[in-house]
Formats: sequence, C-alpha cells, structure tokens
Amino acid sequence: MGVMRIGHINLRVLDMQAALRHYRDVLGMVPTDEDHKGNVYLKCWDEWDKYSVMLSPADRAGMNHVAYKVERDSDLDDIKARIRDYGREVEELAPGELPYCGRALRFKMPSGHLMYLYADKEFVGTSVGTLNPDPWPDDIRGAGAHWLDHVLLLCELNPEAGVNKVVENETFFRDVLGFRLTEQLMAGPDKSVKALAFMTVSIKPHDIAFVGGPCNGLHHCSFFLEDWGDVLRAADVMGKNRVKMDVTPQRHGITRGKTIYFFDPSGNRNETFAGLGYAAYPDMPVITWTDDQIGSAIFYHTGEIHEAFTAVYTEGY
Amino acid sequence: MADGEPRQSMPAQDGARLHRITLRETGESYACAGDRSLLKAMVALGRRGIPSGCHGGGCGVCKIRVLEGSVRCEAMSRSHVSVEEQATGYALACRAYPLSDVVLEVVGGMRKGLTRRYGLL
Repeated sequence: MGVMRIGHINLRVLDMQAALRHYRDVLGMVPTDEDHKGNVYLKCWDEWDKYSVMLSPADRAGMNHVAYKVERDSDLDDIKARIRDYGREVEELAPGELPYCGRALRFKMPSGHLMYLYADKEFVGTSVGTLNPDPWPDDIRGAGAHWLDHVLLLCELNPEAGVNKVVENETFFRDVLGFRLTEQLMAGPDKSVKALAFMTVSIKPHDIAFVGGPCNGLHHCSFFLEDWGDVLRAADVMGKNRVKMDVTPQRHGITRGKTIYFFDPSGNRNETFAGLGYAAYPDMPVITWTDDQIGSAIFYHTGEIHEAFTAVYTEGY
Repeated sequence: MADGEPRQSMPAQDGARLHRITLRETGESYACAGDRSLLKAMVALGRRGIPSGCHGGGCGVCKIRVLEGSVRCEAMSRSHVSVEEQATGYALACRAYPLSDVVLEVVGGMRKGLTRRYGLL
C-alpha cells in the first residue's frame, strides 16, 4: 500500500544527441519513445514500465522532477488527503498529463523539488520477459544498468538561520509518504544537525536520499548493477567513451554500495552501484554516522572527501 | 577527439593543432589541442588553476573569462553563463575549445556554502 518505488527522473540536457549516446550506449538504456516536444524516454533492460528516464532538451542542466509509483490507484486519493492535511499544496493531473501515465499527483517537497506520484504507466515488459526467462538479454549495451534505483537531492541547510530542509523532507516523507529512515549523518559541534537522511519505502537501503547543501539541487541519480565485476566493467565502458568520472570504483560506508560516480554530457551526476548492502526491514535500527567520520561514511576505502564530490551539482528545480 | 566521444585512433587533423593556454593570475600555462576543451587539457596534464567539476557545462565551477585569443564554445548551462556574458568572453572551460593561443582569468570556484562546517556540502 502507498508508495512502492521510484518511477522516473526527468532530466534537462543541453545536447540531446550527446545525452542519448550516454544513456543508451554508456548506461545501456533502451530508448522507447520520443514526443513532439523532443523529450526522449528510456528504460533499463530489467525494467518493465515504459521509461525511468525522461530527457528534456533545455538550455540549463538539472532535474525537472522525480516521480514515484504507488501500488494502487486509491493510494493517490489517500496521499492527496494526507498532503493537504499536512498543510501543503497538491494538484491532481488527468491521465496522460504525466507522459504515458494514468492520473497523477504533483506537489513540491519542502526542499522545493518537484515530485509526482502515479499508479499506472504504460507497460512494455523487460528485455527477457516473464516466461522461462534468460538471466540477461543478448543485446545489452555498455554498462547494462538494471534499473533506476534512487536519487540524492541537495536540500538547503543553514542551521544558523534555522533552515534544515533535510529534516523537513525527512519528516514529510515519513509522515505523509510512508518512507522510513535507514541512515543519517549528524553534524555540528554537538552532533545535533542532521546533514544527510537516507530513506526507504521498500527493503533497499534507500529509495531516496537528502543531503544538506547551500541550495536546492540534484546531486545524482543512480542505476543498479548486479555485482562488483559489473562495476569494474561499467568503469571500463566509461573510460572507452571518455565519460567524466568523479569517483572510480569504490565502496560507500553508508549503504555499503559499491559505486562509481560520473557525469552525463550535460553535467548531471550519475551513479552506477552494485550490492544492496543489507535488507532494510521496517524494524531495522537506524544507522548513524557522525561528521568527524564523514570521509569513511561516503568513501570507505580512502576515508577522504574530495571537493568536487560535495561542491559540484546541477539544479534541482 | 572530442570529450565524450569513444576512443579511436585517427590521424592528426587540424583539430589537433596545439595552442598555448595561459592563466592570467598564476602564469600557469599549458598546451591544448583545438579539439580538446581548455579544462580537459589542463587536468590531463596534471596542471591546476581552473576548478574541475562535471566537464559537461552543467555545474559552473570552471567559469572563466577569455582575455586574449578566441575559443569555440559548445552548449553551456545558461544558469552559469548568460548569452550576454558569453558575448563578453565568459565561458565554461569544459565547453570551450581554443581557436588560437588564449589568456584567461578564472571566475568560478567550488561553492562552499555556510554548511561546510556541517561536514558535507
């Protein structure tokens, strides 16, 4: 019941052909459609709905919106009422207004990021189907990402001014959308400032994450790979294609994910990662990191933060 | 070969002609081929001076102003370089390819928010 999983991200790109080469040939996504406005829709081979990435031509980079899928149509009514009771605005959209989806809810997170919820999206099926399927299809390109897994959003954090959009988002996602906190990073002199919140609505370590920053932004959107070998191979594919890599294969302390960070040709950061770390059942105790150990929390091997990772991002609105 | 294009061997063409890039503030200088962005050539040679971010024209940290010489620019996020700014020599180094020797000044930088003391961004 309620929100099930991430549905798609709508990214702005500066050069559609370059973006298509990246998401299709490097990540290995399958283009499924293009509309009259020039938006391009893609899915991963292991996904069944029509798209998990929607690329929109634009003159600035960043994220237009992120959408999550709910289990039942009636969940939309329940959640709409809960958002209103919480004192926030929400619009209901007719079927088709969110491309290839049924009716949808549109609202802003407390951080200002635009979010949609929908129950139905055009079904395409995975590349291996559902009847006696092979473990993987023969036409995998590039990194062969399995699915869009999560987004990490930059939220304004300015404790001196009393602003902490990480906590505001966490509270909204917990109380209204039914997400649970799995990991957090506490910062400041007395470790009282929550600067990172990882949240799940499944048993994955995270379905969405929020990180404090100077303003609203998109830190990255992440795609799932099966194992460490796939992570290495993905990095090889990126090397072959001269993709700008931010962080070569590494392990996160938070979530235990085996990761690569890199950028699409418009500068939107992507992640490919393997290993779901642990099963975040509803009774799993929350994991806490402290800012004196932030290097290890993010890059477990080196224990060091590098500047570009925390200071480089695109817009989230 | 341009950034983001698959690696391949090809004979040197006009695009491979080397130009001298000089950073006004530090005097740092390095060679950059016409088919390589000012930023990529700098980091590939292990040089420093222009902040290195997304290399895709999206994050804005590598903003520069061309003081002498000329560059060809690919698409840059208008959040960081407006049309007016571009007309007066501003560019993102990751999207700028030299057409001649270039002297530039660094304008951008890593954004350190108030929250840096809170460990992260």
